Amino acid sequence: MLLAIGGIALVYERWIGHALIAIISLVLMVYALTTGAILKGRIKKRSPRNVFKLHKRVGIYFGALILGSFIYGLWIRLQHGESILSSVHGKLGLIILLIAFLQLIPSLVLKNRARYRGLHKMMGYVLAPILFIDASWGLHNGVIGGTKSLVLFHSISGGLAALALVWIILEMLHPTDKGLARARIASYLAAFLITAGCWIAGGYNYLTVYGSQVKPVILAGPHPWAHAIVMEAKEHIFVFLPLIALTLSITLSVLNRDTFLHDPKFRRALTMIACLALFMVLLMFLMGAIISNAGQTGTEALK
Amino acid sequence: MKESATSIASAVITIFLTGCIIIAHDVSTDFKQSLVALTGHHWISVSVIAIVLFVLFSGLLMSSKSARKTLRADDIGLWSTTLIAVTLTMILGILAVLIAHYLVD
Ligand code: HEM
Ligand code: HEM
Ligand code: HEM
Repeated sequence: MLLAIGGIALVYERWIGHALIAIISLVLMVYALTTGAILKGRIKKRSPRNVFKLHKRVGIYFGALILGSFIYGLWIRLQHGESILSSVHGKLGLIILLIAFLQLIPSLVLKNRARYRGLHKMMGYVLAPILFIDASWGLHNGVIGGTKSLVLFHSISGGLAALALVWIILEMLHPTDKGLARARIASYLAAFLITAGCWIAGGYNYLTVYGSQVKPVILAGPHPWAHAIVMEAKEHIFVFLPLIALTLSITLSVLNRDTFLHDPKFRRALTMIACLALFMVLLMFLMGAIISNAGQTGTEALK
Repeated sequence: MKESATSIASAVITIFLTGCIIIAHDVSTDFKQSLVALTGHHWISVSVIAIVLFVLFSGLLMSSKSARKTLRADDIGLWSTTLIAVTLTMILGILAVLIAHYLVD
């Protein structure tokens, strides 16, 4: 796997390899959070046999990948001859690295975890949003070089909405007494982020800056299809997404706890809807990266 | 929990109609012009229409018991599957029209 990552990194721009490692660690983190919550019985699992071992192993892999990602990021900077840890992305990366170590080392070393538990729990859940924000920020830096705060804001909202949707899916797959209440909160978050962050902020940027500055450059550049197909599709397909997110919130809020706990049909239906929304958010993310990239190559071609 | 799929059903209807409007406005320039005239930009018009339709159908379904009955608004399995099928179909439809448009030009 490491070879594959290295190969991809050499073929594409250097930061793609760094990003791939980071995305794998993102997945591992969700896995560590889930197994952690299962350990505490927050999420129920029928066969809680080796969850502790699994959690430990996933935690260690996660820490290793974060360390790798961090060093890789620094290496990119040094190769470009730039000063390190001056960017927000780099500083957040340092914070993530610190949290990951505080999460790992005491867990492995301490014999009596009693006093450390609260910290482990808090840092574990705080890590998730920070990592998603940092990953979106890094992608933004890589694709369009750091300016354009509104674009950054809407893609971070999308990243956090994806996190909220994963959360809903997990609550549906492992129902507990308090699971419905938490799934509701997650669904309100998702609906808010998609509406305010993506729809309004993304749309505002699209109507003002993008329409007058980026679009003409893409159309004149080497990849005009990035506007004609990808952006046109993105802006219109997106419109379904707030409706789906709202429906998810409404349906979760009228659902009562007994049905949620005892009728798998409802959970299956809600899982499917959340998966649809997650798929669409990821599609928007991918399309956005393609569009920004075309804007960048277009600008370079015009120079 | 009897009619838990009411809002999903309104979303399905809204997504279907909005999807048709989107495809129509990519095919017909005249129709796109009238959408532009509505709010100043075709994308804003489409967004507003989607909200209005969703509110309209939700209201309609919530106020009419017989409509809920005919649409089987208690069957969440049916409606969630329909939601996925309709949304994916509309996504593919929009992509197909845009790609065709691009290749013709
Ligand atoms: C760095 C990645 C890690 C993350 C993100 C993480 C996250 C979490 C989370 C979110 C919980 C649930 C806490 C709760 O809901 O109350 C948890 C519990 C737990 N974790 Fe981790 N963890 C990591 C690594 C480790 C490692 C390496 C070990 C052990 C060697 C470990 C041992 C435990 C134990 C024993 C629990 C059970 C709850 C407790 O006793 O407090 N964790 N973890
Ligand atoms: C999808 C996720 C990510 C993407 C797309 C990404 C992208 C980037 C890019 C484009 C750079 C700048 C390279 C340059 O200036 O030429 C960078 C630097 C860096 N990244 Fe990431 N990154 C991601 C995740 C992470 C994570 C999770 C960490 C933390 C462990 C991290 C740590 C760093 C560090 C430390 C630097 C050096 C920046 C500095 O020194 O100021 N990155 N990354
Ligand atoms: C779930 C929803 C969405 C997600 C996850 C998303 C994600 C993204 C991402 C990751 C980028 C790349 C830019 C960056 O790296 O910061 C991007 C670019 C872009 N997005 Fe979105 N987006 C969403 C919704 C929207 C909406 C509703 C619009 C407006 C109609 C929009 C318009 C744009 C435009 C115009 C760009 C190119 C910006 C530029 O390079 O100047 N996005 N999007």
